[in-house]
Amino acid sequence: MSIDSEVKMSLPSPPAPGDTPPAPRRRRRGRIIVSATAYLITFVILFPLLWIALLSFRTNDTILNHPFSLTHLTTANYAQALQTLNLLVMYRNTLILAVVSVTIGLVISYLAAFALTRMVFRSGRRRTQNTLRFYFLTGLAVPVYVLLFPVYRLDITFGLFGTYFALILPYIAVTIPFNILLLTGFLRDFPEEIEQAAVMDGAGLWRMAWKVVFPLMRPVVATLAILNVIYVWNEFPFAVTLINDPGLTTVSLGVSQFQGVYSVDYGAMMASAVLVLLPQLAIYAAFQKQVIAGMTAGAVR
Amino acid sequence: MATSSQPAPLTSRRPSGISRRLLLTATASAMFVTATACGSAVNTAGGSSSDGLITLSMQNPDSRTQDPATWQLVQEFNKKHPDMKIKLEGQPVDQHQQRMTIAAQSGTLPEIFWVYDSLAKTMVKNGDLLDLTPILAENGLRAKFAPSMLAGFRSGTVQYGLPYQALITGFYYNKAILDEHGIPVPVTFDELVAAVKKLRTAGVVAIAQGANNSSFSVWAFLTMLDRFGYESKYRDILSGRAGYDNPDFLRLYQHVEALAKAGAFPTNMNTQTYAQAVASYTSGKAAFLDAGIWEAAKIQKSTVGKDTGFWAGPTFSDGVGNQKLVMNVPSAPFVVSAKVEQDKKKYAAVQAFIQFYYSDAGQKILVDNAQPPVTTYQPDIDTTKNSVFTAVLAEASRPGWTSPGAQPDLVVSAATASAMYDSFYGVMGGSLSPEEAVQNVQKTIK
Amino acid sequence: MNWLTTRRHFALMIAPALIIYSVYMIYPILYSLYYSFTDFDGVSANGFAGLANYRQMAQDDAFWTSMRNTGIVLGIALFLLIPLGFLLAVLLGGRVKGSGALRALVFAPAIIAPILVGLIWIFLLDPKIGLVNAFLLAIGVPAHPQWIGGPTLSPYAIGLVYLWQQIGFVLTIFYAGLRMLPRDVMEASSLDGASRWQQLRHIQIPMLRETFGIVTALVVTGVFKVFELVYALTGGGPVHLSEVMVSYMYHITFTTQQYGYGMALAVVVFVVGALASAATFLGNRRKGEAR
Repeated sequence: MSIDSEVKMSLPSPPAPGDTPPAPRRRRRGRIIVSATAYLITFVILFPLLWIALLSFRTNDTILNHPFSLTHLTTANYAQALQTLNLLVMYRNTLILAVVSVTIGLVISYLAAFALTRMVFRSGRRRTQNTLRFYFLTGLAVPVYVLLFPVYRLDITFGLFGTYFALILPYIAVTIPFNILLLTGFLRDFPEEIEQAAVMDGAGLWRMAWKVVFPLMRPVVATLAILNVIYVWNEFPFAVTLINDPGLTTVSLGVSQFQGVYSVDYGAMMASAVLVLLPQLAIYAAFQKQVIAGMTAGAVR
Repeated sequence: MATSSQPAPLTSRRPSGISRRLLLTATASAMFVTATACGSAVNTAGGSSSDGLITLSMQNPDSRTQDPATWQLVQEFNKKHPDMKIKLEGQPVDQHQQRMTIAAQSGTLPEIFWVYDSLAKTMVKNGDLLDLTPILAENGLRAKFAPSMLAGFRSGTVQYGLPYQALITGFYYNKAILDEHGIPVPVTFDELVAAVKKLRTAGVVAIAQGANNSSFSVWAFLTMLDRFGYESKYRDILSGRAGYDNPDFLRLYQHVEALAKAGAFPTNMNTQTYAQAVASYTSGKAAFLDAGIWEAAKIQKSTVGKDTGFWAGPTFSDGVGNQKLVMNVPSAPFVVSAKVEQDKKKYAAVQAFIQFYYSDAGQKILVDNAQPPVTTYQPDIDTTKNSVFTAVLAEASRPGWTSPGAQPDLVVSAATASAMYDSFYGVMGGSLSPEEAVQNVQKTIK
Repeated sequence: MNWLTTRRHFALMIAPALIIYSVYMIYPILYSLYYSFTDFDGVSANGFAGLANYRQMAQDDAFWTSMRNTGIVLGIALFLLIPLGFLLAVLLGGRVKGSGALRALVFAPAIIAPILVGLIWIFLLDPKIGLVNAFLLAIGVPAHPQWIGGPTLSPYAIGLVYLWQQIGFVLTIFYAGLRMLPRDVMEASSLDGASRWQQLRHIQIPMLRETFGIVTALVVTGVFKVFELVYALTGGGPVHLSEVMVSYMYHITFTTQQYGYGMALAVVVFVVGALASAATFLGNRRKGEAR
């Protein structure tokens, strides 16, 4: 490995991007153009979302029949969405599912990744480890619709149907491959000096895994936590198949509530989409630095 | 991947292998337990508590707004029967079908539910559905149905389903728009084409259709299939003695192509949903709407309500057999899980609900929500307040006109039905030629 | 130090993930594989069908269309999404004021439920009520392309919407990669008078080879799982012309109730997806070793 791996070793304190020295004056005009382009592109990317936010304030009829007139704004869609959806229950359920499945998922993924990379055997079992790692990574290619039937039956068999665990277990399983990909990627190049020092100090396996290595993994774990939470937040196929109790409804089902066989309430759909989206954006905005730090640490391998 | 600089800090002193055997055993036994558990029939049907609580699972996620008739019926039932309770639930139609299928596999069907008839037939074969013959025998319930309303949901001697609502389908038309352009309400296909051409020149959408996630919305065209002899042909087609790609059907598809070329359909037909097509009609932007009686209430409430009439669809001079056909058939059925029989209280609740649904009081609730009764109940309808509903009922009971026994897509497999929808939308949108369209349907028949 | 490598410890650490993953991911794949050889109708399997489902696939035009469309989306992802994501990462990488906020905003599409993404874009791409054509009309462009719903453009439109959805994610990975490049190299080349383009071409891109590798791998696995987007945007229509592999499998399995055939499609989706990702991973590894 060349220079860049050396650099990765110096984590977790990567150079901040902003502190490059000021550009020479002749480049100022260039910078203005660059900035303008950046703002413009961001705006273009965001535009569809702004359009949807705008549509959410218009009646179903005007959305479909006069989509470009900007008069007659109304909050009726929000009233309809709030009346139909039990948002508090939905947020609560989603939060429980997210916290439990993401926590368990990360803990067991980390343990597995640690075992796959940090346990090195003189007898040359590296190959077994690589095979197992590949076995986990195969899951990246599985389309979830294949899983619906069997998972439903598994849940019934295990007596989980109608409980949070009916969703928690498949959610954990689906996130394991990506978690293992990122975690093993990072752990493979983990500086061995730290471990050796800890071994000298008499650290046991458990202490090594949790007290020595894990703290240094925080950025990548944070990234995975956020990406996993986003997954659980948005997950639709399992939720619609495995939830049959209105008390267990999650936010991802919210938007589909307005889609009847013969009638679709697009206004309320847009409004509920916005209601689902805002907390997500807030969460992401709050943790964006973590995601990038974690990607820096793990994903780029 | 970084593979060249593997650190090896944790090498053990004593050569020691990975516990491959232990792992293999653990994983394999976990999978074995799973496989055997799933292989054997699952017996934990949704709750064994004998409390008379039953679930009614429907094809709408929010019945209160999307299927008010059913919602109100359930409310009334729960009020009348404090010792029983129906829990009404539902999902969007695709997910609903998917869930009922998976539930049938696992033996966890809800007590009463709605499904497309093709899936119901599969379930009957598998023994998942209750024979409703004994329930029909009580209180003279059977006598309340016209025989044609029950015939479609029978398999051998097993009456596995009952009509949920009635399908009266065809074209709604906006009289004001037609008058404005001097177009009389068409009767024959040629008159329809002429009307379409005039509307096209005037820049009005002629026939509102929407194919996106609603390819089933070709009701008026399914009736046309019957005007080309579907009723007398389909058994032979299904058994292989005749083909769907016969010259008669091909002629119909050529007519449909001509209609499309005359500019009958909106430019965004393939991207708009059926719901959007309805919205374009109710806002006065389209002259015709291919739909059925379930839209009567919505149209009545809209700005075009007072101008709306209903038409069973065009007759063809080169058609086959009786042209005076109006589609008036039962829609997809209500069915009952076979497991209900094992639980007296649940059985009593199901029985009570069925009796209530088809009682005059129950049917009145349907009518109040602009659904035609599925029994022989004769409703009192305020014809001025419900002009659209009245127009549909009047078209359905025109003297000398009869109904086919079933809608063409409901007597074939789901794969064939899906190909039939695609064949019409394919020709209407110009992505299939009439020949390709009929062949595509034929290919699904094995 | 023996404790570190006992079989028991290794097994205990890896078992929870291995068991949940095997039971909830691998077992279902085997289950699908089994049913792909039957004429399963979703409720009961009546008989063993041998390879009939796979033969049906070979003769099914719609299946090949779905393969082709998946290929189109893959092409757009590889040749547009990745380069654009990289350029955007460079652009939003530093000197622009408020670039942190811009990066967060650009990531927004990646956190929206995919089913919503499809819904949102109907209101932009629909030939009649969509904003894009209204905009073209307003600025006097006479053509009104059928972005979706027409026979030709739909798969490309799906690819572009996928690009929109993923670009923030790709950008974030590249940005993280760029941040780790040693500063002194850039500074030195800057003092040597290297233009921005030369820096990009000769320093940054070569040094980010691994990052490009991982992005490619993630994008490739992602493309073979695209579904909700298509389901909501075009429903696979018109008449299955814009179907991708997973959406077509969904249609066959759940709409037409041909479960045996649907599971055969699922197996093919999985195998093709796994092969494509394995090829990418192996390609990455080889490149890494070549250095």
